[in-house]
Amino acid sequence: MRAEILKQPTESLVGEKVKTKKKFNKWPYIFLLPSLILYGIFYVFPFFYSFVLSFMEWNLISPDKEYVGFDNYNSIWSDSVFWKSLLNTLIYVVATVPLSMMIGLSFALLVESVSGKMRETYRMLLFIPVIASIAVTSLVWQLLMNPEQGWINDVLNLFGLPQLNWLNDPNVALWAIVIIGIWKAVGYNMILYIAGLKGIDKQLYEAASIDGAGKWRQTISITIPMLSPINIFVFIVSVIQSFQVFTTIHLMTQGGPNNSTNMLVYQIYEEAFMFFDIGKASALSAILFIIVLIITIFQIRTMEKKVHYQ
Amino acid sequence: MEIKSNKYRLYFKHILIISIIFIMLIPFLWMLSTSLKDPKDILGGGIWFFPTSFTLEHYIRAINETLFLTWLKNSTIIATILTIGQIIVAFLAAYAFSNFNFRGREILFYFVLATMIIPEQAIMIPQFITINNFDWVNTFTGVIVPNLASGYAIFLMRQRFLEIPKELSEAASIDGCGPLRTLWHIYVPASIPFLSAIGVLLFVSHWNDYNWPLLVLMQEEKMTLPIAFSSFQHEGLVEWGPTMAIATLSMIPVLIIYLVLQKKFVEGFTNSGLKG
Repeated sequence: MRAEILKQPTESLVGEKVKTKKKFNKWPYIFLLPSLILYGIFYVFPFFYSFVLSFMEWNLISPDKEYVGFDNYNSIWSDSVFWKSLLNTLIYVVATVPLSMMIGLSFALLVESVSGKMRETYRMLLFIPVIASIAVTSLVWQLLMNPEQGWINDVLNLFGLPQLNWLNDPNVALWAIVIIGIWKAVGYNMILYIAGLKGIDKQLYEAASIDGAGKWRQTISITIPMLSPINIFVFIVSVIQSFQVFTTIHLMTQGGPNNSTNMLVYQIYEEAFMFFDIGKASALSAILFIIVLIITIFQIRTMEKKVHYQ
Repeated sequence: MEIKSNKYRLYFKHILIISIIFIMLIPFLWMLSTSLKDPKDILGGGIWFFPTSFTLEHYIRAINETLFLTWLKNSTIIATILTIGQIIVAFLAAYAFSNFNFRGREILFYFVLATMIIPEQAIMIPQFITINNFDWVNTFTGVIVPNLASGYAIFLMRQRFLEIPKELSEAASIDGCGPLRTLWHIYVPASIPFLSAIGVLLFVSHWNDYNWPLLVLMQEEKMTLPIAFSSFQHEGLVEWGPTMAIATLSMIPVLIIYLVLQKKFVEGFTNSGLKG
């Protein structure tokens, strides 16, 4: 996918360079103007301002900001809540992303393997968790996970399994959030994989079955390798999205119990809009940005190699 | 013999898929069931989805005791304006990126892609300070304007515009069409089906927006549905009946759009230039 983005502009650039040199064309800039103004005010300026604020002490209300150097960063390094949120965020990403990708792919393969009208209905129903608002689903999950008389514990009880204090037990709460994250993401991944499956040349399967390869063999040797461009996309998008998990935590646990579900993004919100420590919150934002940037670059690099390989 | 075993396998597959769907939809079934139950049956009323008692009380309370209709209106206004605004801004940008060659095109396009990687929360503080300086806190403008430029929409539309043959716009310019007329007579008609697909995706995602409206909208009368839920929460205790009634009602518009236009949804995704 990325190769395509890179290819098209350069191709046409070579072809028409001579023309552009002749006369300055103002039109593309005019068409881009609204986007550029909006991006300038609401992305570029905030982006740099965030770094500036991370060296200040400010409570959002007072007119004075005080320059404090690296104080905010220093207080973050020695803040056990920060390390806890960082660890929680990493656990969440590492647990959610691969599972939701695998389950999404399995759903896609399973649904696409049946033929006829039912296929569309199945696909449509499995996608419903994606279109529902996270606020709605967080509340419903909170009800389902109610410790005393919630549906899930009632079902566990019915099968004689131990009941869990889902959202109030520090050892369980993060996993409850992970389950919800996976549940919300699989439908989206499934649709992307279905889109990918449709792009695979049918002749490959015909050739393979002439060579005597069974269904499983075909899935492993054709489908999965051919899906690798989609895999990159799903992988990058899922990682970025799971770094941003906020609503479930804000509505269900507020980072608790005992910071066991606190994550970087939630901590930023807490520091800024509950404790009014703008400096520290901005420093946390800068750290979050750098982490996401490094991971994304790393992903694109390694994945690019793999794609060119095949 | 073989045909028979294939048939069983097919039945098994359908049963498997239906069980998976059932598990995936449990939260929604439970939401609906809770919203219709007698308050005393809500917790500990058994695990059966079909309510043993039936009442519309929670819906009546939800509509009478809260500003539900106001929130519904607010959500509709904000999601609609934001969607249309994003489409217009992105349309112009994508037209520039796909139909012209100009200095800085690639850098600007990479910049657009980069904005999609920046986590929203990493810049929400200075964004909030900015709208506070404009006096936009607690206004719809404050929710809408900062999000009008959508990297996602620009990216998807550019992908689509690149599929429109260049010969068409070249022929138009030979015939004396300026860039504006080319845009109007060639690009707009060619992209209308696609625009509706992307419009549906954008609308649903803005209907569900949570984080930014939560910061901007403070008064209850200004709130959108997702952030107004907490009004049946008092000191950590949630009144589940009315809350689930609001949850159900707030999902209905999105569900209708989705069921009616579900082909567009899938199209929106499959045409995202993801085909490889």
